Amino acid sequence: MANHSQFGFQDASSPIMEELMQFHDHALMVALAICSLVLYLLAHMLSEKLSSSTVNAQEIELVWTILPAMVLVMLALPSLRILYMMDEINEPDLTLKAIGHQWYWTYEYTDLKDLTFDSYMTPTADLPLGHFRLLEVDHRVIVPTNSTVRVIVTADDVLHSWAVPSLGVKTDAIPGRLNQTSFLTPRPGIYYGQCSEICGANHSFMPIVVEAVPLANFENWSSLSSS
Amino acid sequence: MRGLLARRMKFHLLGAFLVSLGCATLYKFAVAEPRKRAYAEFYKNYDPMKDFEAMKAAGVFESAPAK
Repeated sequence: MANHSQFGFQDASSPIMEELMQFHDHALMVALAICSLVLYLLAHMLSEKLSSSTVNAQEIELVWTILPAMVLVMLALPSLRILYMMDEINEPDLTLKAIGHQWYWTYEYTDLKDLTFDSYMTPTADLPLGHFRLLEVDHRVIVPTNSTVRVIVTADDVLHSWAVPSLGVKTDAIPGRLNQTSFLTPRPGIYYGQCSEICGANHSFMPIVVEAVPLANFENWSSLSSS
Repeated sequence: MRGLLARRMKFHLLGAFLVSLGCATLYKFAVAEPRKRAYAEFYKNYDPMKDFEAMKAAGVFESAPAK
């Protein structure tokens, strides 16, 4: 989860999120270069007293067309690379379905003897000491580490969105449609997210908690939960 | 005085490009590269089972309660 007054991304917990963070650094670097160029030129123009009687500016016009085109290519190529990487056919080890309702999530693990449960936010009054306000749920999404997990996201009523920032996942939940996303986390831990599409009065109160545990513990949990 | 603006513009245009490249390079070596190194360092000797056992002992997991 994010700390108070956190400005940047949460620590990446999946390879895709690491790629996204690097791309964000790249894009910000380009934006910084352009902004500093414009600021410098603006400051110079505002302090310059000479005037120009240029009528033929063919060369500079060529430069300030070609250069921005090159900048755009520099941004587009890594962006497309990550886009295609996110959509690779990756033979998931586990598929689970996330269904958005007003205002909770239902998770279905149909790979494992029809394990289904609802996930409601833990009300603040019932929060144990040390737990995070508005982020904890009664039943977490348990997934194995180092395994590609495919999540099929849909909704039962209105638009929702299943998002977990540190895994680099955000997928809209649309009634009547199945959207697919996948992630892999090499680190065991607990990853928090929140509904990311306005869905009514309690839109801010239907969080997502993904708990990644080693495969043996996941299998133990799933056999206990299914029985 | 002839061509004074053109001379000044060329000088400052070059200066502007150098400043912007400098800002980009500063960002790259002050933020982007340290971040990549930090992630590489973290995962170099990372032991997920040790991490998991420590978190389990702290009682944070729902699926693996501390004994």
